[in-house]
Amino acid sequence: MEYRIDRDAHSLLDPRTKLLLLFTSSVFVVGNAGEKWMFVFYWILVFLPVLLLFIEKEWKAGIISIAIYIASFYAQKSLQHDLTVFESALALMLYIITKILPTAILARYIVKTTKVSEFLAAMNRMHVTDKLTIPVSVIFRFFPTVMEESKSINDAMRMRGVEMGAGKAAEAVEYRMVPLIASCSIIGEELSAAAMTRGLDVGKKRSCIWNISFGFPDVIIITLCLICFIWWIVGRFYI
Amino acid sequence: MNNRLNAKDLINVGIYTAISAVICCLVAMTGVIPIMMVLLVVFVPILTGIPYMMFLTKVKKFGMILILNILMGALMWVTGMSYYALIVGTITGLIAELIYRIGKYSSKWHGIIAYAVSGLYCWANYIGIFFNADAYFSTRQNFGQDYIDAITKMLPPWMCPVLLVVDLLCGVIGGWIGSKVLKKHFEKAGIA
Amino acid sequence: MINFTNVSFQYTEERDCLKNIDLTINDGEVVLVCGPSGCGKSTLVRCVNGLIPHYYQGRMTGSVTVGETDVSKTTLRKLSRHVGTVFQNPRSQFFNVDTTSELAFGCENFGIDPGDIEQRINAVVNRHDLGKLMDRSIFKLSGGEKQKIACASIAVEPIDTVILDEPSANLDYAGICELRKMIEAWKEEHKTILIAEHRISYLFPYLTRALLMNSGEIVKEFKAEEIRSLSEEELHRLGLRAEELQDPADISIDMEEGKTNDNKMVLSNMKYSYKGEQPVFDIPQMELPKGEIIGITGTNGAGKSTFLRCLCGLERSCKAVLKVDNEVWNNKMRRRNIYMVMQDVNHQLFTDSVLDEVMISQRTEDREEALEILDSLDLKEYADKHPLSLSGGQKQRVAVASAIASGRNIILFDEPTSGLDYSHMLQVSELLKKLRDNGKTVIMVTHDIELIKNACTVVIPFASLKK
Repeated sequence: MEYRIDRDAHSLLDPRTKLLLLFTSSVFVVGNAGEKWMFVFYWILVFLPVLLLFIEKEWKAGIISIAIYIASFYAQKSLQHDLTVFESALALMLYIITKILPTAILARYIVKTTKVSEFLAAMNRMHVTDKLTIPVSVIFRFFPTVMEESKSINDAMRMRGVEMGAGKAAEAVEYRMVPLIASCSIIGEELSAAAMTRGLDVGKKRSCIWNISFGFPDVIIITLCLICFIWWIVGRFYI
Repeated sequence: MNNRLNAKDLINVGIYTAISAVICCLVAMTGVIPIMMVLLVVFVPILTGIPYMMFLTKVKKFGMILILNILMGALMWVTGMSYYALIVGTITGLIAELIYRIGKYSSKWHGIIAYAVSGLYCWANYIGIFFNADAYFSTRQNFGQDYIDAITKMLPPWMCPVLLVVDLLCGVIGGWIGSKVLKKHFEKAGIA
Repeated sequence: MINFTNVSFQYTEERDCLKNIDLTINDGEVVLVCGPSGCGKSTLVRCVNGLIPHYYQGRMTGSVTVGETDVSKTTLRKLSRHVGTVFQNPRSQFFNVDTTSELAFGCENFGIDPGDIEQRINAVVNRHDLGKLMDRSIFKLSGGEKQKIACASIAVEPIDTVILDEPSANLDYAGICELRKMIEAWKEEHKTILIAEHRISYLFPYLTRALLMNSGEIVKEFKAEEIRSLSEEELHRLGLRAEELQDPADISIDMEEGKTNDNKMVLSNMKYSYKGEQPVFDIPQMELPKGEIIGITGTNGAGKSTFLRCLCGLERSCKAVLKVDNEVWNNKMRRRNIYMVMQDVNHQLFTDSVLDEVMISQRTEDREEALEILDSLDLKEYADKHPLSLSGGQKQRVAVASAIASGRNIILFDEPTSGLDYSHMLQVSELLKKLRDNGKTVIMVTHDIELIKNACTVVIPFASLKK
């Protein structure tokens, strides 16, 4: 069967929309701006990331996230009065989970569904400097590498029987960190060499194979984000 | 030598940001034990010192430290800390950049101090709790006063400067450990 | 045309890596640069793709030109429009996370019109039948598949010179066949091809010339027919691999019937599958003779490495048990009694000196015994060195030393000779035999035919187990 690259293949949202949504979510969900005034938007922003996961057919991750969210939300609500210090600390922890989880899911969604190439092009159109976008795209690329490497090192430690008891915390850290950084540093050297022989450079014009443009879903999300900010400003300065 | 940042420098920034971020994440996960919340300013600076000192061996041009800090701040922010991390991170990154520059991008102690200063984005995460404590809890009035009292007992306002100092000190310790490990391992192995 | 005029290069003060190289390569030639490890062949090709002097710093004299361009006076970016490179390590040469973008990456950097890139990608993908590998995450590909993508991404670029720096180091038989097809296609397009390698026989049909290097100098130049006619012994004497391209499934060795050890270990319930997928392997029961060097052979991506991880007790979801003598070992017991030398040895060396590395493996630390072990592996002089500063083969021996120190009797190896030249392969082979003589059981997965023929006393094709 003949292969034809589908240049329009992309996830539901444009990278720029994803970042705007992430920004909005950080402000209103994590930062809790507007508080009660933003009630409706708050809940939309909390559950939107899960909806996005479902659209990407990540059923399991989506359901687990919802379960964790609801569990910690109600657990935290039930811990209300006459709390011991321990209970209040627990409540604080649960509260933090309910704040962080939606944004964390959104961040994961963005990393999983955004192509490096697409991201570089989208940022370039917004005139964001390469000096930020190249490192960010390397982070995308490198998270899984760091995970792979540390898993492998962890295996080696288990196999060699140098799993640590409490008394040897320093070694536990040293034995993990040293091979990890050594490996990553070597991979990094080779990665830079490979990228540079393929013409990657700073501040030069790139083209992008992917057609990136705003579609209907982008319009909805962008409108939502704008309304959030407008509603917040109205609430804050005019009422 | 050319003083413009090239692709290699930026890739290095990305790599060490990724390593530091993974370590931060792992430490933050131990936040299951609530007291760890406060101890973040102890463990993050101590543990990220090792990759950071390795990173500094790659820094020879202006801008790399600053970019790493901006990215760490931004990552902190989007993963649910507070935007103070980004603001403070940018400022301290710039200061650290200047400190390390004074050390001609090679001095060990300038590096350690630069690390301690740049690591203050970690402390910045608490600013929200201290300065906006009322706002922080007012949305959650169903928590009741007891709860808020309990939390404020754990984090009284005077803790704010204390944590700052703790963060700085741990930064120095972490940087010092990092430079020890660098000498013990990476320099000896010839990869730094 | 590539031209070297009296080129010398040193990475550091101590060692010359290239000495007075004079060389002219015409357009459309396919030139092999071969020689034992450390002979300078990688350094030579780095002078052509510009990594020397623009990326790896050192002292360089003389000049290299590619076409009209003087390599040292241009930039890597400008040079990258003419020269493309496939590197050795498939893990570290991708900038993108998805394969399709990786194919487009070089062209995007040059700012080529996306419509053109689209056509180029379609052409390359169809020509090499890569449709199945498109739109995938590079983290989900096997080593051979990654190398195919690396080649394809160079093929997409509109360049005239292709550099291959030990491209077959991590490839098995099938992977090498694919690599050959790529080289054939480039040759048809009249690209100039420069290959640094020590596995050479697979390249014979395409070569126009071969250069033999030793200690930074070109010591001999062969015409294509000459190198083809070299006998196995002659190749070995030059430090080169002589294996014929052969499907590992067809290998047989003389297993001396009846002489193999009757004392067998029995592995049962060996089953593993990734979450929600078909099992990678499902072996109800198999026998592993004790005291032998067992080679488990098979292609890349068949699950051989996973097999070793399970055998070593590192996969929690695998519930296999191993019966040794009268004991039954579960995962935890196997982790304590079996030692695995990983493919990437860097991951299992933790301390700051070779001696410490051995001592932390001992049940009770005993310096004298540790030194003895190091001596038996020719590592004594490195006792105070940092393990990570050693060469690949030495690191492997350090890992073996710590295996011996741990007193374990079963030692696993994951592709112990990937990327090694002939003499280093022989060293590994000797090492394995020595372990066997000391009563250890060695189990390794490999696709290295020469190693299998040299060292193995028992061969088990992995495919025969999977059913």
